[in-house]
Amino acid sequence: MLLLTFETCHPIIILMMEMIKSKHNKSELKKWLGFFPFLLFCLAFEFIPILFLIRGSFIDKTTQGFTIAHYQAMSRTVYINSFLNSIKISGLTAIIGVILGTLIGYAIYRWPSESLKNALISLSDVTTNFSGAPLAFSFIIILGMNGVITQFLFKYFNYELYPGFSIYSFSGLALAYVYFQLPLMVLIIIPAFVGIRKEWQESAESMGANNFQFWRFIGIPILGPSLLAGLTLLFANAYGAYATAFTLVESQLSLVTLQIGFMIAGEVRHDPGVGMAMAVLSLFIMGLSIAIYQIATTRVRRWSK
Amino acid sequence: MRMNKLFRSIVLVLFLLFMLVPLIATFLFSISTRWDRTILPEGFTLEWWKKVISRGAFGLTLKNSFYISFATSIALTILVTPTAYWVHIRAPKSKVIFEIMSAFSFGIPGVILALALIRFYSGIPVPLINTTNILLLACMELCFPFMYRPVANALDSIDIHTLTEASQSLGGNWISTFIHVILPNIFPGIASGFLLVFSTVFAEFTLTNLLVGARFKTFPIYLVEFTRFDGRQASALAIISFVVAWVVSLLLLLISGKRTITSDNLTIGH
Repeated sequence: MLLLTFETCHPIIILMMEMIKSKHNKSELKKWLGFFPFLLFCLAFEFIPILFLIRGSFIDKTTQGFTIAHYQAMSRTVYINSFLNSIKISGLTAIIGVILGTLIGYAIYRWPSESLKNALISLSDVTTNFSGAPLAFSFIIILGMNGVITQFLFKYFNYELYPGFSIYSFSGLALAYVYFQLPLMVLIIIPAFVGIRKEWQESAESMGANNFQFWRFIGIPILGPSLLAGLTLLFANAYGAYATAFTLVESQLSLVTLQIGFMIAGEVRHDPGVGMAMAVLSLFIMGLSIAIYQIATTRVRRWSK
Repeated sequence: MRMNKLFRSIVLVLFLLFMLVPLIATFLFSISTRWDRTILPEGFTLEWWKKVISRGAFGLTLKNSFYISFATSIALTILVTPTAYWVHIRAPKSKVIFEIMSAFSFGIPGVILALALIRFYSGIPVPLINTTNILLLACMELCFPFMYRPVANALDSIDIHTLTEASQSLGGNWISTFIHVILPNIFPGIASGFLLVFSTVFAEFTLTNLLVGARFKTFPIYLVEFTRFDGRQASALAIISFVVAWVVSLLLLLISGKRTITSDNLTIGH
């Protein structure tokens, strides 16, 4: 619901006013007929359940009265830690993804061979969707206790990866997240590089600008919205992730999505109101990053025309 | 900022290594006799593949996954395509509603959607909880932007107004115009949407696990169960799910000819 900032709400309000005005006009009303099944679907399986979830987070289970106790409960260490872990892993893997993804994207963009370029873009396309259980499992095979790389490091460099590092811990999960964050960033940033016209670089050069000046005054400002879009999308992508963490760390690392999942499965005895409060706070965090993402992509489109 | 060629090559080689090593290792693991004492597998065998394929649950979960993926793709095609056409031709201003719905769909993680659906539908007398239908509906909600986006792009790329007028001047009504004139023209868009939805649902774990759990085991659920007791066979399953995703990507590439990537048609939600 929090996605409904004024900017997104504005067109809805206009549309609603038109709907009200057109009530007396049959042909105008007919316009909305074709929309009906789809709107009904969204109301029934998204908006109304989410509204009830928000309402439920403010309702006391026994008295049925209004309460903010569920939100006050968020100050307990276990919940604070879940939020901190979720934000930390999403922020960290988003930043790593943006920096390395931009470097890789640039290297792909500048590569002379078209066929290799396309192959790398296709690889990014497939691997960014290679997540969840299969991904978690692949990382256990290479970096688990008896993993291939674990042994390789021990045999050839006499370096013991464990117990300093563990694939079942925060750093292990972060590495697995980077695996699907990197290619996603590559896919976001390549169109932005394509958008920087050769002519701009040439005209900057002809006016005496050096490379640093070109990137400082032209390149980065043009890439800026794409970088911001990437950062927010990657953040949201990791924050909402569940399957990879479920397979890899399960209960060894407390994340918001995992906690909510445990509550649904009934594995932890908590007031359901607390789970709903966690969900509502997460919607707020997700909404914020998606809203910034939307604004950033509108700015990206301005350059891609 | 200018990177020389050597540096760019190193970046790409490292990227390739990072992306490919987990996949290659998983594949080798699934065909090796023993691989926990040595750097390279001690020998190769197809035993694990044979074992995993011969299990009854293998066929069942694969069938369940194909069923739910096809059902979601077909249901979304039927729901979204006519609506998108209607919006484009009759109420182009309300395209923004689709944009907002897409943002919602991206912004609500699977865990939260599952929680909201369970809370709401267990409180009212509608027999949906714990059924395959609720999973289907939740998957539709999660995936509809993947259907809408390619279809909307296809509708934008043809002159639907002229086509519709021409068809109507020849006596066609809305329905026959849609089926005989518009559908064939936007078919590549529909096919792309269909495949995107298909591969997303095929890999779907969160909603399935939380909404139906063990009552309707899909391939990803089966895979997670396997990782806990037999790594060899689990790695074979992981390779199969990767191959499905890869085949769908190839098909998508074939349909769209040249893949044009924009940040609009990226899929998120892991």
